[in-house]
Amino acid sequence: MERSDIEKLLRKVMAKFVDQEVIPVAREHDESGDFPYDLFKKIADMGILGIRYPKKVGGSGGNTTLYCITVEELARGLLSLGATTAMQCLMATDGLYRYGTDEMHEKYLRPAMRGEKIGAFQLTEPEAGSDLSNVRTRAIKSDDGWIINGMKTWSTSGPIGHFHTVLTQTDPDKGLRGLMFVFIPTDTPGFSHSKKFDLLGTRTTQMSEIYFNNCHVPDEYMLGQLGRGLDVLLTILSEIRVMTAALALGLQRAAMDDSIKYCKERVQFGRPISSYQLIQAKIANMAVNLEAGTLMSYKVTHLIDKNIPCLNEASMAKYFTTESACKAADEATRIFGAYGYSMEYNVQRYYRDNRFLLYGGGTHEVLQTTIARQYLR
Amino acid sequence: MNIITLIKQVPDTTDIKTDPKTGNLIREGIESIINPDDRHAIEVAVSLKEKYKGKSIVVSMGPPQAIDAISEAIGMGIDEGILLADRNFGGADTWATSFTLGKAIEKINAYDLILCGRQAIDGDTAQIGPQVAEFLGLPQLTYVMDIEEVDDRRIIVKRGLGNGYERVESPLPALITVIGELNKPRYPRVDLLINACKENARITLWNAADLKVSVQEIGLSGSLTRVIKTFSPKVKREGEMLKGDKGEAVGQLIERLAGNYLI
Ligand SMILES: Cc1cc2nc3c(=O)[nH]c(=O)nc-3n(C[C@H](O)[C@H](O)[C@H](O)COP(=O)(O)OP(=O)(O)OC[C@H]3O[C@@H](n4cnc5c(N)ncnc54)[C@H](O)[C@@H]3O)c2cc1C
Ligand SMILES: Cc1cc2nc3c(=O)[nH]c(=O)nc-3n(C[C@H](O)[C@H](O)[C@H](O)COP(=O)(O)OP(=O)(O)OC[C@H]3O[C@@H](n4cnc5c(N)ncnc54)[C@H](O)[C@@H]3O)c2cc1C
Repeated sequence: MERSDIEKLLRKVMAKFVDQEVIPVAREHDESGDFPYDLFKKIADMGILGIRYPKKVGGSGGNTTLYCITVEELARGLLSLGATTAMQCLMATDGLYRYGTDEMHEKYLRPAMRGEKIGAFQLTEPEAGSDLSNVRTRAIKSDDGWIINGMKTWSTSGPIGHFHTVLTQTDPDKGLRGLMFVFIPTDTPGFSHSKKFDLLGTRTTQMSEIYFNNCHVPDEYMLGQLGRGLDVLLTILSEIRVMTAALALGLQRAAMDDSIKYCKERVQFGRPISSYQLIQAKIANMAVNLEAGTLMSYKVTHLIDKNIPCLNEASMAKYFTTESACKAADEATRIFGAYGYSMEYNVQRYYRDNRFLLYGGGTHEVLQTTIARQYLR
Repeated sequence: MNIITLIKQVPDTTDIKTDPKTGNLIREGIESIINPDDRHAIEVAVSLKEKYKGKSIVVSMGPPQAIDAISEAIGMGIDEGILLADRNFGGADTWATSFTLGKAIEKINAYDLILCGRQAIDGDTAQIGPQVAEFLGLPQLTYVMDIEEVDDRRIIVKRGLGNGYERVESPLPALITVIGELNKPRYPRVDLLINACKENARITLWNAADLKVSVQEIGLSGSLTRVIKTFSPKVKREGEMLKGDKGEAVGQLIERLAGNYLI
């Protein structure tokens, strides 16, 4: 007997969850700007936070495709919820999963999958955005571990996190070859953070600067090999980018769904505005971009699930879907006319929120450069 | 405690459109879902299982794609599913459906409780639960809005009556049909959902031969009703202006509302 198709079934289940639990409260959460703990708990109870991890560590035994379907649907409801869930499932926990000891799994990974502990992933510094070779947070070897000094910025979930995967420099002379990830629990003496950033969009994302002042961690908190921080990042870079693409797809669908509904209802000159060809063109472009972006993105997730390298395709998917999402949100606000400029409707949120996707996972200037490099070399 | 839950896959809309020519349901573009009341039944089964151990099984009669409803039920925590699918089951009215479901339950044999939704949002008859209970000779408790007590010998429930409730005790095994007020169904868990879609998922297919039923007893031939024609009745709303001054008009309005038992 043919079994159910998990990709279709999961999408259906997630769509229902988002329609029933997320969309009705999305605006409220965006306005409050608080972390949506209640929704996060519901997501955890569904086993979503462990979706990428095998059962033997307490995960749900899924893969990148299922992960992306899930965060795409969440992003359709509230982009920041999709983004923080995506962070918890991947960047915040992957180093811990791959390189952490059993004890660390017990103390941090399993609680993270149950939604009881929140993780953060810290690369960016004031002087190191696109250019990670300029990371200055120092890790210095001590007798029984490492001592960390420095600061990070733009840390998603940083100020509410219980543990942090932090990119540090062990030897400034070595540049990229001196980079190393360390695991730093929030209760490590010397850890502190700034007040929360005030953001244009994704306002439920809790973001701040993070400071490390002589933070001492044991040897086993070094994630991966000494000086191989870049490799640790490369291991998940395709996945980070395609996840970002999935978030963009979700946002694009929200913008398109709202546009379709509105243009059929709004009557001007005696006819619904959907009957005007210039409005139809906007809907057609949204649909074409969505279809193309979906094909690009899920091609990448299936490659990742087969362990086939696909960084270039992942970069293209992230670049294309994010630009499409920006366009869709822009066009949606035009279809809504003045109401698109009002805080009463959700399209203004899509317009603000989608800007985040331009930077997270690599800026488009950097992505275009790296994509072109594949063809010009 | 062993619990069997009967679930039906239905189109995801209460606004069902029919083809004006054939009278058939237009299913195109409409997703299928687990009948909403049945989710509440699944929630009862899973929470009772968590409390009392035992086995929980869902049974659904439908086309092959009804397996999705079963997979989702397993995602919610049900142990096993049985799909009753056979071309000869097609065209069944409620009599033939109940007969077939009853035969499947007899084949499963070991059960303490059978759960149904009150009503399917497409067929809408609310007949299946009571008919299955009759077929199996079990006590039936319909419109259950609360389960107060249950152990391996008896169950005490509240039956919703619209303007109140009735508290009833019954010995087990029994069949209950549940309404939405009863609980808030959980969402499926990803790990269980993944298991449910695997080759070795605990889902079995039974056809007419497995149930040892003859073609005359099931499907269209086993049905006692014949559908001559289906159509959407024209709904006519007629307004009525109440005459007189404010006081009189309000008085008349109250009379009308009370007369129709609306207040
Ligand atoms: C909402 C949000 C959440 C974030 N969460 C995290 C997080 O959790 N962890 C984390 O570590 N970081 C996070 N970031 C930071 C993000 O990763 C950085 O913004 C990103 O790496 C870019 O760095 P930057 O902002 O410093 O820009 P810069 O690198 O300063 O870039 C500025 C401009 O210069 C362009 N530019 C830079 N280099 C080149 C080049 N070589 N060629 C052409 N153009 C170039 C850029 O494209 C951009 O237009 C987050 C950012 C946002 C907005
Ligand atoms: C007169 C008549 C003629 C019909 N003729 C046809 C026909 O020709 N072709 C056709 O396809 N359909 C036909 N049907 C529809 C079909 O008989 C019903 O859909 C089916 O019997 C279930 O009835 P219901 O939908 O009213 O369910 P209800 O009685 O409202 O459902 C109550 C509960 O019973 C359980 N249940 C119901 N159906 C199933 C099921 N299949 N598997 C497991 N559990 C279930 C569920 O727990 C559900 O919540 C006919 C119905 C009627 C009334």
